[in-house]
Amino acid sequence: MRTSVKQLVTAVSTSVALMGAGHAAAEIQIGIAGPMTGPVAQYGDMQFSGARMAIEQINANGGVMGEELVAVEYDDVCDPKQAVTVANSLVNDGVRFVIGHLCSSSTQPASDIYEDEGILMVTPASTSPEITERGYELVFRTIGLDSMQGPVAGNYIASQNPERVAIVHDKQQYGEGIATAVRDTLKDAGVEIAMFEGITAGDKDFSSLVTKLKQADVDYVYYGGYHPELGLILRQARSADLDARFMGPEGVGNKDINTIAGEAAEGLLVTLPPAFDQKAENQALVKAFEEKGEDPSGPFVLTSYTAVQLVAEGIEAAGSTDPFDVAAALREGTFQTPIGTVEYDKAGDMKSFEFVVYEWHSDGSKTPVN
Amino acid sequence: MQDLLYFSQQLINGLTIGSTYALIAIGYTMVYGIIGMINFAHGEIYMIGAYTALIAITGLAALGIAWLPLILIVALLCAMIVSSSMGWAVERVAYRPVRGRHRLIPLISAIGMSIFLQNYVHLAQGSRNIGFPALIDGGFNFGSGDGFQMSLSYMQITIFITTLICMTALSLFISRSRTGRACRAVSQDLGMASLLGIDTNRIISATFVIGAALAAVAGLLLGMYYGSVDPLFGFIAGLKAFTAAVLGGIGSIPGAMLGGLILGVAESMTSGYLSGEYKDVISFSLLILILLFKPTGLLGKPEVEKI
Repeated sequence: MRTSVKQLVTAVSTSVALMGAGHAAAEIQIGIAGPMTGPVAQYGDMQFSGARMAIEQINANGGVMGEELVAVEYDDVCDPKQAVTVANSLVNDGVRFVIGHLCSSSTQPASDIYEDEGILMVTPASTSPEITERGYELVFRTIGLDSMQGPVAGNYIASQNPERVAIVHDKQQYGEGIATAVRDTLKDAGVEIAMFEGITAGDKDFSSLVTKLKQADVDYVYYGGYHPELGLILRQARSADLDARFMGPEGVGNKDINTIAGEAAEGLLVTLPPAFDQKAENQALVKAFEEKGEDPSGPFVLTSYTAVQLVAEGIEAAGSTDPFDVAAALREGTFQTPIGTVEYDKAGDMKSFEFVVYEWHSDGSKTPVN
Repeated sequence: MQDLLYFSQQLINGLTIGSTYALIAIGYTMVYGIIGMINFAHGEIYMIGAYTALIAITGLAALGIAWLPLILIVALLCAMIVSSSMGWAVERVAYRPVRGRHRLIPLISAIGMSIFLQNYVHLAQGSRNIGFPALIDGGFNFGSGDGFQMSLSYMQITIFITTLICMTALSLFISRSRTGRACRAVSQDLGMASLLGIDTNRIISATFVIGAALAAVAGLLLGMYYGSVDPLFGFIAGLKAFTAAVLGGIGSIPGAMLGGLILGVAESMTSGYLSGEYKDVISFSLLILILLFKPTGLLGKPEVEKI
């Protein structure tokens, strides 16, 4: 019921976008597709602010091969169905380079369309391994994989010698994928897993789950998913006096979890990409964000910036705006970016990407552990 | 002993959530009982109630008022007033003009209203989750220190008591008051009631207002209990409450109460003893089974064709 309306709205906005698409002759359109609205819109904010900044700076430096980059923005609400609609409107709009999508479950169906239609996609945030497992030529990412992030979390929990661990996930591609990776790592380390259970994303009532966690007497709870649910679980666990340490992936590590969980967010463990905004060589860029009144510390701001930069450098290196040439150039080259040196393997994954364990605080700040 | 405590804890969890389902379900069932339509915008009225309460609480906190009973009463009154006027306005704008037409028309109008309200709140309040302050903290603990401890929070007690008060008040209102009697008359036969001098438009408006006020109570309670609100908050809760109303027998007020409690307990027992993944599977299977064997729901009366 709601989807059909979304489609209608998209259809209307597509036709509006089409009306304005005529003038784009000497420009290179860069599509930015991610959630502008919906429950994980704050991650979309990071993506859009990073990508916009890169486009602005590249244009200020003379553009790409003398042509200006133009951002075309799309809202996928982190909804797989909407992502497909967005991908189709991108095709209609003649966009050939996409920065996005954000949620793995949106990126996966959208990437099928991009690959078929010859559109190059760089996702700054989707960590599900399956996205690059299908031998696609035009799919890249500027972030690590769950299969790298899961073991970091699993090994950390195992190093704390817990007696029993519970693993909870939101049954979505991202959440369940990373929860499975954590479970496998813990199993290999010989840790007892008391529970491996899914919840429904969008639920509000976790009292039964919390009761069950209490009954299972676990020391650690790993949650694979996003912050709206974990925030509520933390809060309800605290009011039920559940004595366990929680840990989650980068999908829970943003300041909105504090508005939901309040004090209960103190001590939450999160695996995140390293804080790129702390690196000395990025300080000029960080300043540029701060001058615009934007916060560069989110995990996906600089990965999105890098995604645009890679597309631009790929076009320069290939000397062509043909997505297939650009993809070949990206696979061959070595690029210096705000997130470090980027080299791609055949699948479109970065050859190395590091995740770090942070401890989250109730004021929204984080400190690296160990 | 451990198992018993665990069972009781899950029962408490289920009854808490079930009683709020029941509060929302009343709105569905009353409207259906009187004009035979399903008010799909009811979940959104509940969501607006939760937002209004949150705004009132934040406003009072900004004024430096910290006396808990005052905050709760003001938040509750604000939520009830705003939700009731919304309920009244929705009926005037979206349902009254199409009343008496083909059944599908008011249904589609209701769905449109639901989408409109949802997106209105999206625009006005943003689409993010907003945290609800935990006003009522703490509770009782039962069980030995080292084993499983059952906890009954003050918040849960507040939910039970408030629901009980609302339900009793509503039952008394329907069975004793003049308007209540008129409501029953209108639900039995709208045309005849109108011939006997009952202002049916006023009674229908009153039904919407009462349903919306109860939904606002649920909005405040659940907002505080869970700790966050978002614009889609009403959609899922509305769906569950609608299920509860159908389960108990749509059109029947005790049925809505019973349906809500059964649904809540079924959900919490499934997540407690099977797995949270099957929560919705079990509750909706329950619904299908009841509809197969007793199509009118648990306490519903078979609909007699009026000649």
